[in-house]
Amino acid sequence: MSTASKRSDDGGGEEADGSVRRSARQLLRAVGGGLLIGLPLLFTMEMWFHSFLLPSWRIVLLLVVAFGVVVGYSAVSGFRRERSWAGLVVDSVQTMGIAAVVAAGAMLLLGRIDFGVGMRDAVGKVALEMIPVAFGVSLAGTQLAGEDDDQDRKDRGGPGGDPVGAFGRLVVGAGAALLFALNVAVTEEPVLLGVEAEWWLLLAVVAASLAVTLAIVFYADFRGGRSPDPGDSPMDHPVTETLAAYAISLALSLLLLWAFGRTDGASWSAIAGQVVMLGLVASFGAAAGRLLVGGRAET
Amino acid sequence: MRSNWLEWVVLVVSIVAVVGIVGFLVMDGVMDEGRPPEPIVTLRHGDAYVGEHGWYLPATVGNSGDSAAEAVVIRATATVAGEQEESEVTVDYLPAGTDVEITLAFPDEPDGDVTVLPPGFRLP
Repeated sequence: MSTASKRSDDGGGEEADGSVRRSARQLLRAVGGGLLIGLPLLFTMEMWFHSFLLPSWRIVLLLVVAFGVVVGYSAVSGFRRERSWAGLVVDSVQTMGIAAVVAAGAMLLLGRIDFGVGMRDAVGKVALEMIPVAFGVSLAGTQLAGEDDDQDRKDRGGPGGDPVGAFGRLVVGAGAALLFALNVAVTEEPVLLGVEAEWWLLLAVVAASLAVTLAIVFYADFRGGRSPDPGDSPMDHPVTETLAAYAISLALSLLLLWAFGRTDGASWSAIAGQVVMLGLVASFGAAAGRLLVGGRAET
Repeated sequence: MRSNWLEWVVLVVSIVAVVGIVGFLVMDGVMDEGRPPEPIVTLRHGDAYVGEHGWYLPATVGNSGDSAAEAVVIRATATVAGEQEESEVTVDYLPAGTDVEITLAFPDEPDGDVTVLPPGFRLP
């Protein structure tokens, strides 16, 4: 939806119809992308429960972080040639709005919101569920664009567009890390894994997270993967980028665990264990995100 | 700029949805007095029915507090044919402001009133 239709100045009714049809296709793609990415969490019981268990301000904070990710992703992969910050923010509000409507529709269809459900509970469910859906809507506006949006494809970064810099890759990586980690953070599993793991096992998980994500992005020859040759910037090096992406993954894991109340009353060692275990998932997400936008243009 | 009416509609609906959701949550956070959960059971005698295996009394469990309760145990007692009978139902989660429908069961229609004990619960 955010990709602006380009109607000529003398456009008549036919062109206006074409413009509406194009917008309708983009809207359908946004809804479809939102559902594709959001579906697992729309069907996750813990998400419904956390909607009323979490204090309102923690949900608002998660929404703010998600909004920041959507803005960041739009800025890097963005859908418009004329990308002003105001335009990016308006587009991102629209992404969140579409996600809210999709999440509300899904909760109604699944019977999670009905007349007996209190307003706070209903709004909380929509607010939490719209986060993964928004990431899907955001993706649909860029990566899932069809043939008719070739011009927009050229406008954005990544494969086929301008190369994305190290900072941009980390922004998109952070978004994907948040999405991957969100799918797991709401469940009990990170708590169980983190509490039960011995220190040496956690160290092994840290090493595995770093080694596997380094290999996936730089050596496995995935589409969107990059050459391990270092670039000009210090961040444009396989080791520094992998470490930075992992640090971001750990920070986002801690944020999610805290937001979902997993750190309340937990010991420091239990928190560290949970962060490392969830960080494994988040770092894989960060790797997937970086693959999605590619990197330096191949020569 | 938005180039047609559909894009404008989507933009306006989006702004209303986002402002509405965030605004409601912020207001809820500000207005929250931190009252602990307080389950309230309302018996619906008008909906009571006799089944093959007993007498059933639907009830609505609400929560007038500001936070959710977990594992809410609703226990009701009544005298049936001269014997003291008890019916117990557990509600997994009871969010603030949400109504949960339950049904209490007794072997037969009670002789007098059904008494509901104040429900106990766990804090999530």
